[in-house]
Amino acid sequence: MSDFSVIGKSIAMVDAAGKTTGAGKYTDDFSMPGMLVGKILHSPYPHALIKRIDLSKAKALEGVVAIVTGADAPNQYGILPVGHDETALAVEKVRYIGDNVACVAAVSEEIAERALELIEVEYEPLPAYFDPEESMKAETDLIHENRPHNIEKDYHHVFGDPEQGFAEADYVHEARYIANEVTHAAMEPHSTLASFEIDPHTGKQGRLTVWSSTQVPYYLQHKLSLVLELPMSQIRVIKPLVGGGFGGKSEINPLEIIAAVAARAANAPVKVTYTREEVFWAHRGRPRTIIDLKTGVKNDGRVTSVACKVVQDGGAYCSYGVVTILYSGALLGALYDIPNIRYDGYRVLTNKPACGAMRGHGTVNVRFAFESQMDEICANLNLDPAEMRRVNLLKPPTVTVNGLRVLSYGLPECIEQVVRRSGWNDRKGRMPKGRGLGVACSHYVSGAANSIIRSDMPHSTVNIKIDRDGGVVVYTGASEIGQGSDTMVAQIVAEVLGCDISRVKVIAADTDLTPIDLGSYSSRVTFMSGNAALQAAEDVKKNILSAAAKRMNCAPEDVIMRNDRVLRRGTTMSEGSSTWSDSSSGKDAASGHVDGQILRGSVLQTRKEEGPRDHMSFEEAVVSAIDFHGGLTGTGSYAPPAAARGGKQKGGGVGPSPAYSYSAQVADVSVDEETGEVTVHKIWAAHDCGRALNPVAVEGQVIGSVWMGLGQALQEEMVWKDGLLMNPGMLEYRSPSSTESPDIECIIVESIDPEGPFGAKEAGEGSLAATIPAISNAIYDAVGVRLRESPFTPERILAALRAKKGMKRIEMTESVDPTAPQKLREHGGSLWFRGKGPMRHPLDPARQGAKAGGER
Amino acid sequence: MSLPSFRLLRPKTLDGAIAMMAEYAGDLKVVAGGTDLLPSMKQKLFTPGYVLDLRGIIELRGIRSVSGKGIEIGALTALTTIEHDPTIRRDYPVLYEATKTVASPVLRNMGTIGGNLCLDTRCLWYNQSLVWRQSCGFCLKKDGELCHVAPGGKYCWATFSGDTPPALLCLGAEIEIAGPGGVRCTPLSEFYVNDGIVRLHLAANEIVTRVFLPESSAGWRGSYQKLRVRGSIDYPLAGVAVALKLRSGRVEDARVAITAVNPAPFLVKDVDAQLVGAMPSEDIAERIGDLAASTAKPLTTSALTPEYRREMVRVFTKRAILRAAAN
Repeated sequence: MSDFSVIGKSIAMVDAAGKTTGAGKYTDDFSMPGMLVGKILHSPYPHALIKRIDLSKAKALEGVVAIVTGADAPNQYGILPVGHDETALAVEKVRYIGDNVACVAAVSEEIAERALELIEVEYEPLPAYFDPEESMKAETDLIHENRPHNIEKDYHHVFGDPEQGFAEADYVHEARYIANEVTHAAMEPHSTLASFEIDPHTGKQGRLTVWSSTQVPYYLQHKLSLVLELPMSQIRVIKPLVGGGFGGKSEINPLEIIAAVAARAANAPVKVTYTREEVFWAHRGRPRTIIDLKTGVKNDGRVTSVACKVVQDGGAYCSYGVVTILYSGALLGALYDIPNIRYDGYRVLTNKPACGAMRGHGTVNVRFAFESQMDEICANLNLDPAEMRRVNLLKPPTVTVNGLRVLSYGLPECIEQVVRRSGWNDRKGRMPKGRGLGVACSHYVSGAANSIIRSDMPHSTVNIKIDRDGGVVVYTGASEIGQGSDTMVAQIVAEVLGCDISRVKVIAADTDLTPIDLGSYSSRVTFMSGNAALQAAEDVKKNILSAAAKRMNCAPEDVIMRNDRVLRRGTTMSEGSSTWSDSSSGKDAASGHVDGQILRGSVLQTRKEEGPRDHMSFEEAVVSAIDFHGGLTGTGSYAPPAAARGGKQKGGGVGPSPAYSYSAQVADVSVDEETGEVTVHKIWAAHDCGRALNPVAVEGQVIGSVWMGLGQALQEEMVWKDGLLMNPGMLEYRSPSSTESPDIECIIVESIDPEGPFGAKEAGEGSLAATIPAISNAIYDAVGVRLRESPFTPERILAALRAKKGMKRIEMTESVDPTAPQKLREHGGSLWFRGKGPMRHPLDPARQGAKAGGER
Repeated sequence: MSLPSFRLLRPKTLDGAIAMMAEYAGDLKVVAGGTDLLPSMKQKLFTPGYVLDLRGIIELRGIRSVSGKGIEIGALTALTTIEHDPTIRRDYPVLYEATKTVASPVLRNMGTIGGNLCLDTRCLWYNQSLVWRQSCGFCLKKDGELCHVAPGGKYCWATFSGDTPPALLCLGAEIEIAGPGGVRCTPLSEFYVNDGIVRLHLAANEIVTRVFLPESSAGWRGSYQKLRVRGSIDYPLAGVAVALKLRSGRVEDARVAITAVNPAPFLVKDVDAQLVGAMPSEDIAERIGDLAASTAKPLTTSALTPEYRREMVRVFTKRAILRAAAN
């Protein structure tokens, strides 16, 4: 191990105390004098024109202060410049059940809810589209008029010569895979508090402050500016503690704009907090995905060509969709050495809540298909699945056929570690009946090399201010969302300055105070904000060193900052030795011996008779530096190097990253052959994060990723019936509980990336994608059924098992064969009825096949 | 979602409660642990003017042995208390097993045995917010005119989803019900109505006050098998309770009950004809499994398909019998 003081140590998160004691403040914990509660009216129709909205009865209710509709904020926005297709509240039409129609600001939640019931909206139903493959056939009644066939975006990429690659293959395998829809299910529901100040010069509404549970405060500032037509400088966004994002807060959610629009209309602070059902409607999760995958291999398992067609059920708005469909293709590369790739991706609009970015954005479902197919090929060619992955390794430094630059590459060691620790070679194929092992790999970007806003500005900037008290204040726009970014920044700064981490105070994600940063998504923060923090710390360190060098009568290069002390090189001061104790420990120095000197004047002056010294405390050095240089500040920023920014092909801007993380996993499962229930006994998860800046935090991220993958693999699924989400709550949307969570052995692999801060790269997302196929492959090893539809629920597994055994067929999977799924499944029962409630359009799928009168 | 406004009534005695119920019947809901009622009130499934909180009635708490009769459990007894009671664990193992599968530990701390007996029936088309239900035109059970799980039907299939009632049915439990006319006792098997709306033979001015476990079923072997996706929190998607009276390995008496696959929990009929006098075997257990499966009429009221849940009733019945015999 390298000789670090703070880096590489498992230390507590800097915000841990507030979170664990309950003292920490999340957005919904804030309130202000005169604050109103905002509640949103949602559409009961999946696709309908709004003919009329009558607010008069609702406005007459005592306690209602303001009601806003789409007309109050008609400007369109969206997270991507190519996808400005949303309005905060529906203008002219609604596009999914749950779409936002109006917002009431009232003195209490109960009154606001009652007012919602008094709003009269007249709708004219339109035919709705729920299945992406059906939606692509649409000619009329498009979801967005400027998107023919309801296709948000399609891409057709060819790298190398895929046809030649298939011709060279000894064996070609082809299958369709379906991954059902999942959502983030972050613990904290989204919440936003918006408040205007009175402008002192005009007496009118002036600056806007928004507290919001967001991963992207600067994007929020920008979109608020677009919609409210306020200069960005008049908008301050503050991110309090965030209770998990996972991508669900990485764009602008409707409530964030709605709260501000309502606050403007009510002329009072307004807070909107989603119910859990609203969180599901806001969604932005991982789309249902249909993957048609074809792989050609040589007899030894070497891949010669891959052809992949992906159809994503994107929901009613673009959101991050264009990026998702691009990632799904681009990340076929950079894990293995694949010489030829054909990719056809379709991001399709449907009348469902919008999908967006979710942990492992774009790569997860395709990786499930790919790693499953590798396993199928191994079974057919009698190859060892771990060995097949080894023969397809990249040889870095290299640039893949689709233009992705790979420098550090810990995948070989990841595979080696999980194979060894799981006892793969001894146990595989020798497990008791019903028990099996499966292996799979994955990777992920450490931030996008090309920002989604297509700007050449730095992706991250960090400022540091050190004052005479010896406190180091770091200003970063990076958003701590529980992943540990504040701690990461504090560690890097403390390491560079050689100071105790308790000196470092991180001020994060407040657009008035902190320099711009793109936010917390695509696993970019450690690499990009970390590098900016490193540079900022070195910037400020220069001035400390030069001042200290004067005091010590030596060159700045000969001054060392370490363990909260500043000393001349060559001074024998090993840690803990008695020579350190003359000024006692750093702690005494911090609290005691320059006390009272700092504000009065110069430490230098009071001690000049002492002559040159060979060491001093951190405060002394800081005070010296301020006396010499004036204010002690530093700044650093990061922009990805040109070499990491990918090829010039259309769509080639998404996928390139300065560095990729790597993961290999082995799952040990057993399957109950009578019930189809799966028990995951253990998962060995090796993750190459470059360097683990804080190993316990890395382990937390890896375990969290595996656990989230486990949910998607076995339990979590958004169940739809004609556009109606059947399980919009944590009771029926079944994230795993602690009881079925397996033992996870996390193995950190450190490839030391040449460009990462101290060699670090991403840790928070890359492991998720390997878990789903590792479990699928283990199920196959255990009982010999290949599930090509996730999640692998007991009914799906039992249906496959019964078919394999030739048992009497029981239709238990809504007529979708989980071993060879062709279409997306709908929940049973019937939505169609006659009489009460919203009448669907005659061409709506809910009415197809229903008899007149609503009976089947 | 906010709780709708209501007036909270907090009687200290059973008589006080009965008087209040008589006064406000029709516009009143009873709350004990609140784990079933409060989420439903937030979803506006119930908007009573009055909520009567039973928790002040100390006499309805606790477990007592009554010599010569058996065990008496007050309706307000927390499920956790039952789970940790050594006598119940020893003498009525099927109840112990069923109790410890209810929801999660924190919910069992609040949830009561009376509440579990009187649990509202559940359906994916019913246990939803007001806005959600509006978007499907409501349903028979609340605010609507037809059923989405059995389209065209006029009968509510919402599923009874309690875990302890099948165990209590196997034990031949009786319950005490108090109302304005006094107190009456009834076998639990006559308490339920196989209709998702009617649910219980319980008048609006009555409450369940006690559960009696007969001494005659003390010592019966038992097992409860529950189908759920998660190892905690979930309501049953199917549940099977089995109680066997064994002597020298042979069955002297046997009962099997199923839950979460019909609007009411049911004792499976003709079980004793198959089991009494026999040594429990895989063969017999499978036959009982078929019987139980034919009693189950699950529909699309919950996660996992009805066909799968019915098949699991068969498998779980077989397993529960073999496990009970081996316990």
